[in-house]
Amino acid sequence: MKTENNFLIEEENVYCGALSCRGCGWSLLARHISSVMGTKTVYVVPACCFSIIAGPYPMNMLKGTVVHSLFAAGAATATGIRHALERQGKNESRVVVLAGDGGTFDIGLQSLSGAAARGENFIFICNNNGAYMNTGVQSSTATPMGAVTTTNPDGKNTNAKDLMAIIAAHNIPYFATASLAFLDDLKNKIEKAKTITGFRFIMIDSPCPPGHKYAPELSIEISRLAVETTFFPLYEAENGKYKINYFPKKKIVVDELLKQQGRFSHLFSNGSSKLINSLQKHVDVEWKKLLTKVQN
Amino acid sequence: MNIKKVFEVRGHARGGQGMVTAFEILAKVFSYSKNYEVQAFPFFGVERTGAPIQAFLRISPDAILNRSNIYNPNLAVVFDEGLIEQTNVFDGLPENGIILINTDNHPSFYKGKAKNIFTVPATKISLEKKLGSKSLPIVNAAMIGAILKILDAGIDDAKIIISKEVPSKPEANSQAAEIAFQSVVGFTDSSFHKTISANIKLTASPNGLLSVPYWDKPMSLNKTGNWRVFEPVYINRQPPCTENCPAGTDVRMFVKLASEKKFEEAYSVIYSHNPFPSVCGRVCPHFCQQNCNRNIFDEQLNIGAIERFVGDNNSSYHFNPSPILYKEKIAVVGSGPSGLTAALRLRQMGYPVTVFEALPKAGGMMRTGIPEFRLPEKILDREIQKITEQGVKIILNKKVSVSELENIFFAVVVAVGSHIGTDMNLQNENEIIEGINFLREIKFNENRKSICKGDKVAVIGGGNTAIDVARTVLRLGGKPVIYYRRTRQQMPAIANEVEEALKEGVKIEFLTSPVKLEKNKKGDFKITMVKMKLGEADDSGRRKPFPIKNSEIKISVNKIIKATGQVFDDFVFADTTVKTKQGRIDFANENIPVFCCGDMAWGGTVVEAIGSGNEVASEVNSFLRKADYAKSRRSNDVVSADQINFAYYLPTPGNPNPFKKVKKIFNDFTEVVQGLPSNKIVQEASRCLHCGDCFNCGNCFNFCPDAAISIDEENRLRIDYDYCKGCGICIRECPCSALRVEEENKLVETE
Amino acid sequence: MKTEVAILIPKRKEIKRHTKKVLKGNSAAAEAAKICRATFVTAYPITPQTTIVEEIASMIARKEFDATSVNMESEHSVFAALKGAALTGKRVFTATSGQGLLYAHEVLHAIAHLRLPIVACNVGRPSYPWNIWCDQSDSIAQRDTGWIQFYCENSQEVLDTIIQSYKISEHLLLPTLVVLDAFYVSHTNENVFIPEQKLVDEYLPSRKKSDSDIDIDNPKSFGGLVAPDMYDKFNRLFWEDMNKVEDETIKAGEEFEKYFGRKYAAVEAANIHSGTKIILITLSSITTTARGVIQSHPEVGLLKIRLLKPFPKKSILKILKKVNGACILVTVDRNFLGDNEGALMQEMKRALYGRTGKIFGVYAGLGGRDVPPSTIEKIISIDFNSAETKEIIWIDK
Repeated sequence: MKTENNFLIEEENVYCGALSCRGCGWSLLARHISSVMGTKTVYVVPACCFSIIAGPYPMNMLKGTVVHSLFAAGAATATGIRHALERQGKNESRVVVLAGDGGTFDIGLQSLSGAAARGENFIFICNNNGAYMNTGVQSSTATPMGAVTTTNPDGKNTNAKDLMAIIAAHNIPYFATASLAFLDDLKNKIEKAKTITGFRFIMIDSPCPPGHKYAPELSIEISRLAVETTFFPLYEAENGKYKINYFPKKKIVVDELLKQQGRFSHLFSNGSSKLINSLQKHVDVEWKKLLTKVQN
Repeated sequence: MNIKKVFEVRGHARGGQGMVTAFEILAKVFSYSKNYEVQAFPFFGVERTGAPIQAFLRISPDAILNRSNIYNPNLAVVFDEGLIEQTNVFDGLPENGIILINTDNHPSFYKGKAKNIFTVPATKISLEKKLGSKSLPIVNAAMIGAILKILDAGIDDAKIIISKEVPSKPEANSQAAEIAFQSVVGFTDSSFHKTISANIKLTASPNGLLSVPYWDKPMSLNKTGNWRVFEPVYINRQPPCTENCPAGTDVRMFVKLASEKKFEEAYSVIYSHNPFPSVCGRVCPHFCQQNCNRNIFDEQLNIGAIERFVGDNNSSYHFNPSPILYKEKIAVVGSGPSGLTAALRLRQMGYPVTVFEALPKAGGMMRTGIPEFRLPEKILDREIQKITEQGVKIILNKKVSVSELENIFFAVVVAVGSHIGTDMNLQNENEIIEGINFLREIKFNENRKSICKGDKVAVIGGGNTAIDVARTVLRLGGKPVIYYRRTRQQMPAIANEVEEALKEGVKIEFLTSPVKLEKNKKGDFKITMVKMKLGEADDSGRRKPFPIKNSEIKISVNKIIKATGQVFDDFVFADTTVKTKQGRIDFANENIPVFCCGDMAWGGTVVEAIGSGNEVASEVNSFLRKADYAKSRRSNDVVSADQINFAYYLPTPGNPNPFKKVKKIFNDFTEVVQGLPSNKIVQEASRCLHCGDCFNCGNCFNFCPDAAISIDEENRLRIDYDYCKGCGICIRECPCSALRVEEENKLVETE
Repeated sequence: MKTEVAILIPKRKEIKRHTKKVLKGNSAAAEAAKICRATFVTAYPITPQTTIVEEIASMIARKEFDATSVNMESEHSVFAALKGAALTGKRVFTATSGQGLLYAHEVLHAIAHLRLPIVACNVGRPSYPWNIWCDQSDSIAQRDTGWIQFYCENSQEVLDTIIQSYKISEHLLLPTLVVLDAFYVSHTNENVFIPEQKLVDEYLPSRKKSDSDIDIDNPKSFGGLVAPDMYDKFNRLFWEDMNKVEDETIKAGEEFEKYFGRKYAAVEAANIHSGTKIILITLSSITTTARGVIQSHPEVGLLKIRLLKPFPKKSILKILKKVNGACILVTVDRNFLGDNEGALMQEMKRALYGRTGKIFGVYAGLGGRDVPPSTIEKIISIDFNSAETKEIIWIDK
């Protein structure tokens, strides 16, 4: 990273006072998305932490329209809104789904897949914090192996679902991963997604202090480590053409990322180095797969 | 304890403080060990870590026939005193109600709010027991202890239940409960009378009543600022470069200006502390640079090159004389860096100043002790000229003593430096050439023939003088070998200079010290050297060398030059014994106040002399103006490398000074080290980390999850404390440590 | 025979400003969506609803119907998409059946509580084990979602009810489910008079813009978290509007008659007078068969419940004032809810609370089991005055 980051938000399109925990990835993401999207945007929010953060009665955090949708129905609700707005000739308006990993990987997958396959003209953004945080940290299929959740008190024993591969299988014009520690890249991707027509998908690796069990001030540092360890690589694909947006300067082992987070602390305390090794292996295999995709 | 009918407790806390668990545990305590009917339940809201929440507890000897929230509690418990401002924790408290507040304050602080007020320092207790984090102390165990105390219920049974029920740290939690149990302080406000308080519940819809559940009020109605426990503040911290400059130069500032190509402004910044930028740019050991936080990242900033460039770049800059404001004439004895600096400062303050110099040229050690190949005389001349331009009068060839100056001058600043060589206590020592004299003579072109071509020359010492002597010998055709009794690491000479000397062909024998000196008939010398080893560190932290027995060797040389330190010339005090020190000294003649500065007072480098001159000028001024004088103090808040977030800096190779390519060193006294061109200077200055100084990188603003940082109309960053939750990300992600955490002042204003 | 409300269409060759077509109930529903100018239509295929969405798709393809149609991946998504589209102020339409409606149950609540005036058709079919035939348990199971429910007897009523439903829904900001029986209505071809477009436009102008629509220039948020006291208030307002539905139904029916010549109300009474000994209380297509049977039983009356939800207590009590206390009420339920009583029986008992007189419940025709006139005859031949006769009767063995 470079020193001249500069001020990335030209127009603050959120109101202060969000009901998010300290150090929340969701509210930070909302700031950056809304500043790029502008106020003429309809945000569809299936059940997730952001359902609360976005504002209970009578308040609204986003300077834009927010439609709270049912958990399974983010992409479906957005479909209806998008078509209806287009019938009204409001083509300049934008429709953006802001979903958690549950509303994307799990209960929301059906409607997401339907909308992606139909090529619906909206942006689906998944704030992936790797568990059901709104209900108090239960495992989702986005939960990484080894992580402790209230429904996997001994740690999850399967890897997270490769949702990006599912997304890729829908042949959509644009999909990308992004991190809150790499805001320039994140902003570029939101801006790019904004200019493309069709179904666009962005997955954000989102920090969650109470869910991942670390002090709030570490949110960005942990997000950065996820990228530096290639645990969460930054890439995008435009019309199927992959591009890696960030190559770590030097290889950092995944331990560095895991040991910062209480949800993985048991891996270090009771000699579960086997699990760490298999996580490292998984990360390495996925990174290699990604490198192959870029070459093709 | 004896609860005769249903007793109701309402708790106010922040999500994450453990209140819900605390009430559950209390319910278990009263049920399991006291056989009461209990109810403990939260208002199950959308609590987020830090957001205000409520919980309820009912204890009753009989069946509890109410399952609603508690509006008129017998006891209200406040887990976080910050909540007092946010929600009306006193709401519904009956006339004889009790309130328990977690605070360091005495309960009387809340006089007028309730009749029976209790306080307990639960946060302090919990932090001591390492329960929770600074930003979110988990105070539940301590609060359980305090509540039990108020209910007169005993702590022993509770401790067992607490250890069983808490998710972690059972020992620490039960200890916290016990300490809190003992720490509750009570206060009864007998004059208290309940007045009707405002309703804390959300009143009717601000939208008017609409049948469709949509709304559009801004979220900013919800002030999250009072979730905050620790608050970030912008600060300007001392960088190690500035901190370590003996002259007090704002190094970070001039480097920044240089990076912006504002060389003239950079010059002013340096000049306000140091009237010799071109000199120091060449000869200073650059303590600033040595302490640069970039050292652990890649390599230190070449601040010397920047200073040199800024000095040279402004060589044609001319000053006007400063106005005379005071009648008190001041004499300065000695025109070295400290004398001239003191003279200039006093002159700038408005005093008439006269400098007396014994030699035909001004400059002191800069003139006599530093060879031309390190500091060309024209550079020095130029900087002295700027001083005289401003009205400092220099009288040359005038060796004075203090007593000559009384009745004419109101104060004397003595800055005669250290020119007199010290003895090594060897026989025949008077045969040895004194290094400082040797250099002076070369400089004044008096005795270039002291060394003949091919002479083997032993140079004794390890300071800059020794190095300069050896390099001069080399240029005169001699073959110098430096003998130094410690190791290279301990050498006081500037490391670069040592490096350069070695490159040029100077040889250095470390851990070697002369013990005997014999002169043969031809006029050559035989020196007995002994090898040394380093012992334990002494008080100054330096390891003292000791001779190794039977390690003597004999060497033959043509010349010996010693550079083992100097003392000052006490002629100035007319042979009276004076203990010199920085600033005003005790002097027998009380007719005139005498101040000291420069090498004779402290230091030994040009920049230390300059700092000493600055300091003495302030002291003289305070003395003459009869004002209090306080020595300028060093900062105790210097940014260290571990406080820098290197994730935001790219490793960038530095720009070292180029060296002149020397074909034949004999008789070549031209400057060896060259300066850098302007583009390289900008590049080098841009490598600055800006330690402790916001450089508008945008991180704090960009990363704030709560949009609580904004840029005001004057382009400054502002934190909106109405909304900042105190997550600490801005502090953590600040590359240069220009933000600091401060404990929230949670005291409530009394009415 | 005396009828209170004449809904039976006189045998006519033509009606002014109408075109006569032989249509299935499903086609009438598709036609209604078109003439009501729904602009967003989506549905998920399910027998026996499928032909509705097929016909709409083909009308759109032929450019006879100007609407956006999206093939969603499930009924849950269908209703979610309708919710989104309706929020922008658009008139939307869908149709479903059985499992599809049950699957969308969650969204039905959301639509009602977001106060969206969506009109949907449901072709009644049961759930499990697999059965595709006529049954009302699917829509009855949605009684508590906050939707208005109309049950239609024939294709004409389907068409007319959809038109009226938009009127009522958009006035009260409540969604409406129009239910037609599988096959007996959905796939039965019969005469339907289709009003000309202009006439429909006069009765049903396009949906009015409202402050509660999505307006990208005036951002707001919809459906977020509401604290208990405000949730209670929103429900109260919902309740108040729900209580207006019966009157609005009658009003919309009367106004409909002015434009189209056909009168509708919340219920329809046939042959109910002081001499009536038995009243059959029916929903949907069974009504037609009952009408036929009572032609030869002057002592038997017929009460057709058109508006099931909210239950039109006022209209019913008004009609029952005409009969004497000995008159026996018999509900015919084509739905089984896992309870002793079927839905009509439950609703009637609620409505009649405090009134003396006997009421019996009969289950008939579940899962599409045919209800021929003989079954109706069997019902009215039961000796209701016998102490042996149980309150709830399963008519077919």
